[in-house]
Amino acid sequence: MKTFWAFARQNFHATAVYRLDFWLRVASTPILMYGMRWLWVTLYTQRPGAFGVSMQQMVTYAVLSIAIENLFYTGPLYYIARQVKSGAIDSDLLRPLDFHFHMLARSTGEMFFRIIVIALPAMLVGYFLLDLQLPATLQTGFMFVVALLLGYLVNFHLDFILGTISTVTLDIHSIDWAFQATSRFFSGRFVPLWLFPGALGILANILPFRSIFSTPLSIYAGVLKEDAMLQALGFQLLWLMLLLMLSRWLWGRVQMRIVSQGG
Amino acid sequence: MNGFQLYFRLIQISLLGHMQYRANFIAGVLGLVFWNVINLGLIGVLVTQFASLNNWTLWELVFLYCLWILGHSLYSLFFSHTRQLEDYLIEGTFDQFLLRPASPLIQFLGREFQYTKIADLLIGVTGITLAYAQLGLHWDVWKWGFFMIAVISGATIVWAMDLLIACSAFWTGRSRGTFIIVSPFYGLVHQYPVDIFGNAFRIIVTSIIPVAFMNYYPSLFLLDKLDRAGSAWWLSYMSPIVALMLMGIVFMVWQLALKQYTSSGS
Repeated sequence: MKTFWAFARQNFHATAVYRLDFWLRVASTPILMYGMRWLWVTLYTQRPGAFGVSMQQMVTYAVLSIAIENLFYTGPLYYIARQVKSGAIDSDLLRPLDFHFHMLARSTGEMFFRIIVIALPAMLVGYFLLDLQLPATLQTGFMFVVALLLGYLVNFHLDFILGTISTVTLDIHSIDWAFQATSRFFSGRFVPLWLFPGALGILANILPFRSIFSTPLSIYAGVLKEDAMLQALGFQLLWLMLLLMLSRWLWGRVQMRIVSQGG
Repeated sequence: MNGFQLYFRLIQISLLGHMQYRANFIAGVLGLVFWNVINLGLIGVLVTQFASLNNWTLWELVFLYCLWILGHSLYSLFFSHTRQLEDYLIEGTFDQFLLRPASPLIQFLGREFQYTKIADLLIGVTGITLAYAQLGLHWDVWKWGFFMIAVISGATIVWAMDLLIACSAFWTGRSRGTFIIVSPFYGLVHQYPVDIFGNAFRIIVTSIIPVAFMNYYPSLFLLDKLDRAGSAWWLSYMSPIVALMLMGIVFMVWQLALKQYTSSGS
């Protein structure tokens, strides 16, 4: 655990060095939040209470979604690709440290940095200016944090698996595009999953992506409560276990045959 | 060799370079198509469930989205490296342009040809064609002419905006930050009709970052929605004027920038 936090802290500071870009990202996030707020206010003015959700709940969902989206850009995919391309992956593999564990520590450090620098300020702006509501109860707030953490871990492992695959295919951009687009659609990041009709809705409920945005946001906005909430958390946990095992297994197989491209 | 010949020769060289990686090209095209289909799918889900978005129907929104893509694709096919100007300046690559006996602007613009963006062009044309049929539009020659001008103006506006921002790197050394700030404006105007947003936003995307002229304003005229613009109906015809004005500003700023340019020395 000590090693974990050492790496997490190190990457926290490494990220903090590039402060300007981050502050600008902080400044740009409210613009998107503002846009999403107006989009949903417009739609819910047309059809108040659509799908059993109030305008306040929907605006909260959408604004919060933008505030937290930056937490999910911390993945190992580009790190692995960069290391393989430059040849520096050698030194990562030489370390007396489990690679998967190392990646998780790095990524977690960066996530905490992004929570402090981007998500929290964005939530404050949302709260004071853009109708973002506080969670109904303290317990709801706590469950949101748990679900967000699980969502982060699910996203991390999806990303790790992609990174592992990229060491074999040596092309990450097209893999990443496909992944980002699919996740964008099925995670409930822009359009909540209860709006998905028929087969699309069923598919969205089976795929792991809903763990990332839909579950934490729905809990926060009070759309998922009690049994449904516990079920969603269980679903996240289940996918997390599956992906964790898949990650370990895949990396074990790939590790031996990594072809470093050299400097 | 005049400016144009030089430009196309440079593009040709870049294209030959890219052609060596055919698999990348196919993957790139598929990626772009997939990305846009997903985006349109999300808009589709929204509009099917809510019937319309502030009285914009599904196919009108597709039209709006694709009019942006079409203008933007012309820009990104030829000039998508505009945003990397800061790297040219930092790495000193820009100095090469100054040493050769040709216009630095043309050398910079002809540096790259991003042919995967052909996908954007395809999506734009397909989307507009489908929307045109679905909406039962019947344009006369003048309206078609206006449409063409709107697309070219759109390409010019986004090119000029990006080059203006990129030029700020001549003074500050960095332009990436400003791109981070403007990109949510680009994204929102691209996907949604500007009239769903508040006044502050509308004023910004009409005057300071005038990207609403890429799709929203010309669409009002092209889709016979002028009535919703009220007293500001004339803005629908202003895209070419805005494009010309921005172009003038860019050339002036570029000259100023060159005059005070000092190499990074690396």
